[in-house]
Amino acid sequence: MNRRTFLKALGATGVTATVAGQFVINRSTGEAGAPHAAGVVRKGETWVPTVCYQCPGGCGILARVVEGKAVKLEGNPQHPINERRLCPKGQSALQILYNPDRLQHPLRRAGARGEGRWQEITWEEAMAEVISRLKTIRDQGEPHTVAIMHGRLRGEMEGLIHRFLEAYGSPNDISSASLGRQTAKVAHLLTQGIEDLMAYDLENANYLLSFGGSLLEAGGPPMRVVGAYGQIRRGRPNRAKIVTVDPRFSITAAKSDEWVPIVPGTDAALALGLANAIIQMGAYDKDFVANYTFGFEDWTDEGGQKHKGFKTLVLEEYPAKKVSEITGVPVANISRLAAEFATNKPALAINPDRGALHASLGGSYTGAAIHSLNALVGNLDRPGGVMVQRYPLCVPWPDTQMDETARKGLRQPRIDGAGSKRFPLANSIYQTVARNSWEGNPYPLRALLLYYTNPVFSSPQGQEFVAAFQKMDFIVDFSPFFSDSNQYADLILPDHTFFERYENDLPPAGTGYPVVGLRQPVVEPLYNTRHTGDVLLQVAQGLGGGVAGSFPWKNFVEILQFRLSKLGVSWEELRKTGVWAKPLYPFTSPTDSRWHSVVGTDRRYAPKDGRFDFYMRELKGLFEKKGITEADLAGMNISARGDLVYLPHYEAPHRTGDATEYPLLLNTYKLMTHAEGKGGNVPGLQEMLGLHVGVKWQTWAEINPQTAHKLGIKEGDMVWVESPQGRIKVRAKLYAGARPDMVNIPFEQGHAAGGRWAQSRGANPNTIIPSVTEALAGSAAFTSFGVKVYRA
Amino acid sequence: MTRWGMVIDLDKCVACQGCTAACRAENNVPFQGPEGTAQGRAMFWNEVIPVVEGEYPDVKARFFPRPCMHCERPPCVFVCPVGATYQDEDGVVRQNYSRCIGCRFCTVACPYGVRYFNWFKPNFPEPMVAYTNPDPEVPVRPKGIVEKCVFCIQRINKAKEKAAAEGRELKDGDIAPACVQTCTGRARYFGDLDNPDSTVSRLVKSTRAFRLLEELGTHPKVYYLMEG
Amino acid sequence: MEQLTGIDEERYLEPVKKVGRGFYITVAFLLSIIAWGAFAWYTQFQTGLGITGLNRPVFWGFYITNFVFFIGISHAGTLVSAILRLTQAGWRRPITRVAEAITVFTLPVGAMNVLFDVGRPDRILNIILHPQGRSPLIWDIGSISMYLTASVIYLYLPLIPDIALCRDRIGGWRQELYRILALGWRGTEAQKKRLKMGIGIMAVVVIPIAVSVHTVVSWIFGMTTRAGWHSTIFGPYFVVGAIFSGIAAAILAMAVVRKVFHMEHTLKPRHFDYMGLLLLVLTAAYIYFTFAEYLTVYYGYGGSATEGSLLTALFTGEFALTFWVMVVFGFFVPGIILAFPQGRSIRGTVIASVLIVFFMWVKRFIIVVPSLSRQFLPYPTGFYQATWVEWSLTAASFAVFVLLYVVFSRMFPIVSVWELKEGEEEAREKAEEAAKMLAPAGAPRQSRASEVLG
Ligand SMILES: Nc1nc2c(c(=O)[nH]1)N[C@H]1C(S)=C(S)[C@@H](COP(=O)(O)OP(=O)(O)OC[C@H]3O[C@@H](n4cnc5c(=O)[nH]c(N)nc54)[C@H](O)[C@@H]3O)O[C@H]1N2
Ligand SMILES: Nc1nc2c(c(=O)[nH]1)N[C@H]1C(S)=C(S)[C@@H](COP(=O)(O)OP(=O)(O)OC[C@H]3O[C@@H](n4cnc5c(=O)[nH]c(N)nc54)[C@H](O)[C@@H]3O)O[C@H]1N2
Ligand code: SF4
Ligand code: SF4
Ligand code: SF4
Ligand code: SF4
Ligand code: SF4
Ligand SMILES: [Mo]
Repeated sequence: MNRRTFLKALGATGVTATVAGQFVINRSTGEAGAPHAAGVVRKGETWVPTVCYQCPGGCGILARVVEGKAVKLEGNPQHPINERRLCPKGQSALQILYNPDRLQHPLRRAGARGEGRWQEITWEEAMAEVISRLKTIRDQGEPHTVAIMHGRLRGEMEGLIHRFLEAYGSPNDISSASLGRQTAKVAHLLTQGIEDLMAYDLENANYLLSFGGSLLEAGGPPMRVVGAYGQIRRGRPNRAKIVTVDPRFSITAAKSDEWVPIVPGTDAALALGLANAIIQMGAYDKDFVANYTFGFEDWTDEGGQKHKGFKTLVLEEYPAKKVSEITGVPVANISRLAAEFATNKPALAINPDRGALHASLGGSYTGAAIHSLNALVGNLDRPGGVMVQRYPLCVPWPDTQMDETARKGLRQPRIDGAGSKRFPLANSIYQTVARNSWEGNPYPLRALLLYYTNPVFSSPQGQEFVAAFQKMDFIVDFSPFFSDSNQYADLILPDHTFFERYENDLPPAGTGYPVVGLRQPVVEPLYNTRHTGDVLLQVAQGLGGGVAGSFPWKNFVEILQFRLSKLGVSWEELRKTGVWAKPLYPFTSPTDSRWHSVVGTDRRYAPKDGRFDFYMRELKGLFEKKGITEADLAGMNISARGDLVYLPHYEAPHRTGDATEYPLLLNTYKLMTHAEGKGGNVPGLQEMLGLHVGVKWQTWAEINPQTAHKLGIKEGDMVWVESPQGRIKVRAKLYAGARPDMVNIPFEQGHAAGGRWAQSRGANPNTIIPSVTEALAGSAAFTSFGVKVYRA
Repeated sequence: MTRWGMVIDLDKCVACQGCTAACRAENNVPFQGPEGTAQGRAMFWNEVIPVVEGEYPDVKARFFPRPCMHCERPPCVFVCPVGATYQDEDGVVRQNYSRCIGCRFCTVACPYGVRYFNWFKPNFPEPMVAYTNPDPEVPVRPKGIVEKCVFCIQRINKAKEKAAAEGRELKDGDIAPACVQTCTGRARYFGDLDNPDSTVSRLVKSTRAFRLLEELGTHPKVYYLMEG
Repeated sequence: MEQLTGIDEERYLEPVKKVGRGFYITVAFLLSIIAWGAFAWYTQFQTGLGITGLNRPVFWGFYITNFVFFIGISHAGTLVSAILRLTQAGWRRPITRVAEAITVFTLPVGAMNVLFDVGRPDRILNIILHPQGRSPLIWDIGSISMYLTASVIYLYLPLIPDIALCRDRIGGWRQELYRILALGWRGTEAQKKRLKMGIGIMAVVVIPIAVSVHTVVSWIFGMTTRAGWHSTIFGPYFVVGAIFSGIAAAILAMAVVRKVFHMEHTLKPRHFDYMGLLLLVLTAAYIYFTFAEYLTVYYGYGGSATEGSLLTALFTGEFALTFWVMVVFGFFVPGIILAFPQGRSIRGTVIASVLIVFFMWVKRFIIVVPSLSRQFLPYPTGFYQATWVEWSLTAASFAVFVLLYVVFSRMFPIVSVWELKEGEEEAREKAEEAAKMLAPAGAPRQSRASEVLG
């Protein structure tokens, strides 16, 4: 049976099938099939498959192209993430391709940095300049002072950029993940030994306890999660219960069966409070916990030293009453939720991509605490449980040719402090780059390439980047649009939009089984733009030596073809379908030898013994290796000492902003209509932005009506939201779904540049969010600082 | 007889507004910009209507995606002085863009707030106009006239053409309006209410089924399935 | 042509004969307002109705308000005059034409506002090319055109003898026009008889048409399901409202004519007193209808959230100030003024009429806009604020009306000269008869007759 007939068969039966011990994750609800755009293909019309890139969700698209113009997008029915559906961002994506504010040629800065005066140049001039600048720096033996900051990278772009820097000789491959998905990955590494987001078999779960993510609006590959939601609600005889823990009454919370409005930054306490109740009830999976986990009970190490286990910790530290005081969740609810979680099997505790984990400086511990609940009920790698995302097998990259300059450069510490004693576990820290480079700590950056990211806008205290940029010699940005950041660049080398370029796309964890989407041009590039992959290849070749030697490919498509050559599907076939997937998830069990692929795989400092760590041996191993002392712990803002450091625990949020002067907490979030900071210039999205509050085209602050009343603020007033870092002016929206001690402001508006609809619209909360970094994952903490609100 | 109808399962709907966006893209619905939107002139052939009730922490919110109800007794059609809005033989309440005089009697008469008026010349700045749907059934409308959801008549036509070309009858599921096709929660269904075997006919028999403002006697052909 | 006696015709022909500076200034002033309105309309036509304050859900605003208002005012003339004619109220004679002219000139202005309101005035002929009989708007078009036709005839018939008079007395370029319009009137008995018959028939015909007009106007609203509109009393309610505002408008026209043309001799306090009494009756009737309207809605308050919200908006919400000021100053204050004989002086009736006319415009607004601002589905409530375009076109509408009226009054005698004369003769005959029968008591009768006359 080939894949397609197989999927069809599934569509017809609409049940979960078992094939030789493997489970097919099936999201079809058994309704009639999905014709593309219903019916005949009219004259001069073709349908081109590609992949959406408005958010990282990786949905397959079929673009209707009439006479060389893309006129409508539909979800690719064969793409397992979205199966015919597209969210509003996907449906509005042609407004990016045909955006009137696209950059049409390479630009060289004509005025001062930030002045906004530009001169059109040819690609030849542009390439020559980039090559000569980078060559000079490298020839001067300072390749490490060149950094690439990037947003999410898809498929081979990730390898390409990493390889480019490696061959060039810079350790400074800086990802935006520390603003987003880093913490969850670290939490999973420390507990389950898997450094990735988790995939969840939502369709087969009976109870979903979602902590601080916008499950139905943002996190996960959104279309996969929302599809599963339909299945949970109506596609099967019993409805799973969905509980959403979030300080904000999100649409997800509205669509859940229960909303738990928690004090922000305290999710670890709640998770451990639930664990406490479950343990007291004796309702945990005793067999699983005893045999396949580590550190539940107190234990003694080889040296005979006694260590505290998870159970003791939780029983001692997290009784319901105390937890209730911390989290604001009533005692009765805590014990009820615990009982429900333990008895409605299979039950899932879902870690968000960002949300709760980025609320405070204890994010990694929070993630670990939440994930521990899954182990407590033994719900790992089972139907209805946590899955480990599998990726397609790509042909490995050949070794990079590293010359002496490169090796020397790579031995330099990273500019962002990742891997240092201060941030021992972090891979990459985005938000520290500005200050470090500006202070020359450990050295100033001389050149910066910005790919698909906008630090001035997206990072807390993004304005620090402006200062840092002023000190740099050479800044290149590849965006097809103006952005807050590229206003300070020396060169803008506009990329194709994602409708005009080739790229493979591996959706983030969600399905469990491997999926590759192929992004390909649906129309000829409209303007004189170039694929950044091709540009980098050309730069590498222009730099000569080991750098050129590391890149034997003529263009980016060759890299794709090379990497995907063993997929088992031809390039032509892939271009026709737009997606390849192997929709079988191989559930294992602890007694199975394959268990080692789901627990412990990515550990470096702890045994890959197939045990889930309640006691985080990976962390202990790392700290011992790095010689972390108590003083270091203090520097890391970790208040725990002793065994507690290695156990999931609650770290009280480090609140900045004096509580009497700044009595409210500010929370920022994403909506279904948000494409991170990229949706601002999409008029269709602006025009339906804030559904739950009925506000569009602007920035609003959700304020509890009682709080507003106390502050003398009326619906629709313009208000200042002020922190010690500064203040922003936004519209007050009285919203019963806001905690009385919080204000919620959506992230997206307030761009200084970026097009007619984005520019000078609303306010960017990042300008008033302090830049503080969580120690383990190196992630930015967004939610634990005070603000005051008053009428403007 | 064919009687096209729609069912929206509120239990599966996640209020994503994918339908709204899909409809805008498929039917060349212009956006109005910040000023127009602030004046309540934004156009959504399919609008998702939020209802937030209660006080913290006992807050509830419900969301109704709202296309045209394609009323069997459509007040909009009754009041139109020139027959610019009319019911076709399949019960779809259609719009004759070249006849409408823009009197807005229909917008006033429709109890569902479904009809939208073009206050200005539609705004599709170059090169955005390039992506407009070229299907002749959905021209970009001129200023001064009324428009609304027409059940993606172009797709109904195409499905009919296709069935005719293949020498067969239309089947249930042959037609997916843009909003139905993209519906992220798979909450929307479209089909023939006169065909007893269609999915929609089956669903409207559900005890969860209800219609909006039934008491007004408009007999909507859009049904909702209650949550829970 | 027979000689008129006791009545000094010259007095009435004076304004027609001599056109002074004041006229030109007035006309120039009005034309400049109209020109500005034309500019506003052009701008609106070019840019789209977006430059008005209209929106969703308040799809209708000033223009429809104006439309209903002017159609309402139009009842001043034809209906009032027809009723008075049919009831043979002798005191009507100096008033009828003053009032009838209002009808003929407000109807086109009302219709014009529909043209302002439609998004595609260039397609307005579709109404004739593709009429859809089910639509109350088509009924409206029908009844308004019928009303206009009937009113023009009804104004024209009694004008014929006076046109003939002008033809005979006034030379110059206008003579030819008068000659044609006079239709060869010689004042023969046969002509007189036919004319009277014509007028009599028209007076009968015009009343149901007038009633139908405002009933149908009300049905534009009443046939929808909207809160506040979906009411069975709307037909009579609107008719009464129309007569109400119409009479007030007629009083104002009388006062202006009296002042401008120095017709104190003809339009006497007594006329204002009688009209004031009529107005008082209608004030009471209108207050009654308004009360009935809101009470029924209010009583069913729990029935529909939308209606509840509408009433809240009116009574305590965003429209409350307008609403209560209107109720007090538009209905009760005039009612009180008119209830007292002293209040029915010229000044009193004029003040009451000014209030009534103004607040009846407001009342139309209060009918149109608040209902639209509240919808059945939980959409946000609407809001409406007219822009310069709507203000300009509203001002221009009034200017057009006044201009037509002014020009008319300079072309034709604004009071019916021959009817006055006829009244005088009748009175004299009656008086003579009375004198014969009751010679000693003749004196008071005499004065009565002159009253009727005067
Ligand atoms: N539609 C859409 N989807 C997206 C994206 C997008 O831009 N738009 N971006 C993608 C990316 S890059 C990422 S990283 C993910 C992010 O996905 P999520 O993490 O799911 O989304 P966020 O909106 O960043 O934050 C989620 C929620 O966390 C809540 N929150 C804040 N502080 C706390 C806390 O202390 N405790 C708890 N329990 N909750 C808290 C906020 O109120 C908010 O509702 O989404 C991805 N998917
Ligand atoms: N306060 C607050 N701040 C946040 C968040 C929050 O929830 N609250 N969320 C955080 C999260 S999770 C994330 S992931 C970050 C995201 O923040 P960023 O990494 O900055 O990503 P984006 O804003 O999505 O896009 C960045 C830039 O990519 C450019 N771009 C767009 N299309 C293309 C293209 O086709 N090619 C190239 N080369 N460039 C392109 C655009 O110019 C855009 O400015 O924001 C973070 N910041
Ligand atoms: S969920 Fe993300 S990838 Fe999928 S359609 Fe929406 S924006 Fe595109
Ligand atoms: S919902 Fe409104 S527009 Fe649609 S048919 Fe009914 S009355 Fe007409
Ligand atoms: S606006 Fe157009 S469709 Fe609506 S009633 Fe008037 S003519 Fe008919
Ligand atoms: S049926 Fe078609 S026209 Fe109607 S709301 Fe859905 S997409 Fe829009
Ligand atoms: S697309 Fe479907 S799930 Fe999304 S709002 Fe519309 S009806 Fe609801
Ligand atoms: Mo992110």
